[in-house]
Amino acid sequence: MAHFEIKDLTFYYPGRENPALEHVNLSVAKGEYITICGKSGCGKTTLLRHLKGVLSPHGRKTGEIFFDGKPLEDMNLKEQAVKIGYVMQDPDDQIVTDKVWHELAFGLENLGTHQRTMRLRVAEMASYFGIQGWFHKDVKELSGGQKQLLSLASIMVMQPEVLILDEPTSQLDPIAAADFLGTVRKINLELGTTVIITEHRLEDIFPVSDRVIVLDKGRIAADERPEKIGELLRGEHNDMFAAMPSPVQIYYGTKSQLKCPLTVRDGRKWLSEELGNRKISVKSLEKKDGPYEEKNAGNTVVQLKEVWFRYEKNSPDILKGLSIEITENQLFAIVGGNGTGKSTALKTICNICRPYRGKVLIRGRRIEKYKNGELFKNNIVMLPQDPKSLFVKKTVKEELEEMETDSDENRGISIERVISLCGIKDLLNHHPYDLSGGEQQRTALAKVLLTDPKILLLDEPTKGMDNFFKIKFAELLNELKEEGVTIIMVSHDIEFCAKYADNVSLFFDGSIITSDTPDRFFSHNSFYTTAANRMSRHIFSDAVTNEDVIRLCQMNR
Amino acid sequence: MGMFLIHPLFLVCSVILSLSYCFIVNGKKTIKLAIGLIPVFFAVSLLNPVFNTDGVKILFTYFAGRPYTWEALCYGMAIGAMFITIMLWFACYNKVMTSDKFMYIFSHMIPSVSLVLTMVLRLIPGYSRRLMQIYWARRCTGKSGEGMYMSKRLREGMTIVSALATWSLEGGVITADSMKSRGYGCGRRSSFSNYSFEVRDKIMVIFMAVLMSAVAVSCWLGAADVVYTPDIFISSLSSFESAVGMGSYCIFLFIPTGVNIMEAVKWRILKSKI
Repeated sequence: MAHFEIKDLTFYYPGRENPALEHVNLSVAKGEYITICGKSGCGKTTLLRHLKGVLSPHGRKTGEIFFDGKPLEDMNLKEQAVKIGYVMQDPDDQIVTDKVWHELAFGLENLGTHQRTMRLRVAEMASYFGIQGWFHKDVKELSGGQKQLLSLASIMVMQPEVLILDEPTSQLDPIAAADFLGTVRKINLELGTTVIITEHRLEDIFPVSDRVIVLDKGRIAADERPEKIGELLRGEHNDMFAAMPSPVQIYYGTKSQLKCPLTVRDGRKWLSEELGNRKISVKSLEKKDGPYEEKNAGNTVVQLKEVWFRYEKNSPDILKGLSIEITENQLFAIVGGNGTGKSTALKTICNICRPYRGKVLIRGRRIEKYKNGELFKNNIVMLPQDPKSLFVKKTVKEELEEMETDSDENRGISIERVISLCGIKDLLNHHPYDLSGGEQQRTALAKVLLTDPKILLLDEPTKGMDNFFKIKFAELLNELKEEGVTIIMVSHDIEFCAKYADNVSLFFDGSIITSDTPDRFFSHNSFYTTAANRMSRHIFSDAVTNEDVIRLCQMNR
Repeated sequence: MGMFLIHPLFLVCSVILSLSYCFIVNGKKTIKLAIGLIPVFFAVSLLNPVFNTDGVKILFTYFAGRPYTWEALCYGMAIGAMFITIMLWFACYNKVMTSDKFMYIFSHMIPSVSLVLTMVLRLIPGYSRRLMQIYWARRCTGKSGEGMYMSKRLREGMTIVSALATWSLEGGVITADSMKSRGYGCGRRSSFSNYSFEVRDKIMVIFMAVLMSAVAVSCWLGAADVVYTPDIFISSLSSFESAVGMGSYCIFLFIPTGVNIMEAVKWRILKSKI
């Protein structure tokens, strides 16, 4: 019997003409691992929320949802709480209490579970998730990854039959995300819990899913096994193809006849077989960019000279003798692990953090010399990590208009231009908080661009962005670059940096270890590199992006 | 309890014992605290006669005959000592009673209030963090109001606060969803605790109850009776019941210090056996 059965579900949000979900039919068997993907704003969250009665949004709804053969509405609050677990996006807000142990026990307390049972279950979960080490800690001391793991554990403690996860890793760095998704996989395998998950980052969950469902404008566009889904999307020229993992994209790019690989391991094997009986004549794309120094002959815009910084007098140093020189008109990407000081480096460039030693020069002038907001007037602007921190008005339109009022008339960029650049035309009358994560990111970007910056600082701009918009985002950055904007970006998104950056630097332990063009940077690394490079490095010497691998394959035909 | 007994001997006892426990709990910080409390003691003692002129023994007069009496001064010292004890006990309380322990005690009596409390404890640091984030974000988009007129800066401040309110309310909605989805409100709550009530706790409670009642009975019989104004009367501790009362009181206040000392001694012994 199907675990979940959705029959012809159509849903309208109040006051909207377009349905958020349209004739959705879906059946989920017990113990299945289902991935739901789609562009941001396509109705993924709306669909997931319908699967848990208490979270269903208000609006006009037709169609039916069955859980274990019974209509979902007939389940009482307690049954729903126990049987259907729901993990949300935001690591902070979904945690209720102030202590880790209390959060774990919260659900059981609500059910009125007896003390003895509660202790056993909490102990079990803490051990299963490896939480013992931080069991007594305050929630505020935890990292984002730990918080999400805690949220998951505090739901698993109620022993649900279904686990629904709504983009659980969108706020996490890749390592924490992989760790989290690994745990979800373990739960699915070891406990047989049904998993329904939405994600932007498909690399980690694509190979383990039983079925992938692609949503497009509230409709199910595809519902297939992961190996087949690429073919389907490719055939339909669906935008979602850009979100497929690298091996899948490369496979379809080369029009191979073999079996579709889903992981890097399978991809390597596939590539060897694909090219196996031929002699490899072209091993490397002779990239035309010359030595690094020549390319960056432009004026220096931002310069940091041996900058040292710490947050408090007795705290450890965050920046340790950091020196960078960033020249005009380029996309300068900084990659590196969590807590190495990348974001702090950005903050020193826009004068939020003041170093206790060393110099920060903006266009050759000491940063301290810029007075009274001069620094941020048509000069530097920063897009913060959390787009919500930029929202102060009731609609997206007002947000944009707010930026216009103070500055002068002859600005280089108009509201209309920004709206079309960021693709937020349809969102103008919405409240910023009603938007999905990716849409919020775009709105924040639009707001920031309205200051007509010359130096744009981006802190994790691709976080929570779907791959489809990433391509548009990259085009946008290119346009800005052509207009003479220098972009400095801190990111975990290796694939994005490899494809679009002019320069990639590895940040580690408070300073930059190495800085080079993406091609050289990634082809020299063996671990910290793109999936395409990891997949092809045994055959090609400097293929970094999916396109590189596809081209090399074709050249060797 | 030490707060309401103003018998000088009882007061001396409670000052010494609260100081000793505070020293065990707070360590060297206590010295600073104690030094800070000395002027407080003197201020309270010396000021009391200014407001209270009752008394027989007049030390001097001022302001055209307003008397400054010895009895009122004594009374002031008693109040001062009482005040110091309260401060010292609170310093200990702050250190010893963490939010977990508070929750353990009160979650059984008033479950909903204690849940609100733990949520508030979680929200406050979140608010200040968000406020700074919004402020920085505004600054980095050239909206900080730096170098502008006061009215504009004020308006900017209001904008930040209202943005914080919106953000927090939004967060509140998510938190509420998260609570609902984990079954909040579907019946009577129970509460989880990390502590358990062991035999030694039972023994301690009984022991403390016995001491308390001994003190109460002896106070009722007049052991701690004391009148400062208009004429000083201090009951002597020669009778049996008052001696018992005094003794029980001392032991009662010595319990926390004693427990700690005993533990330290035990560790010493265990260590020396290795």
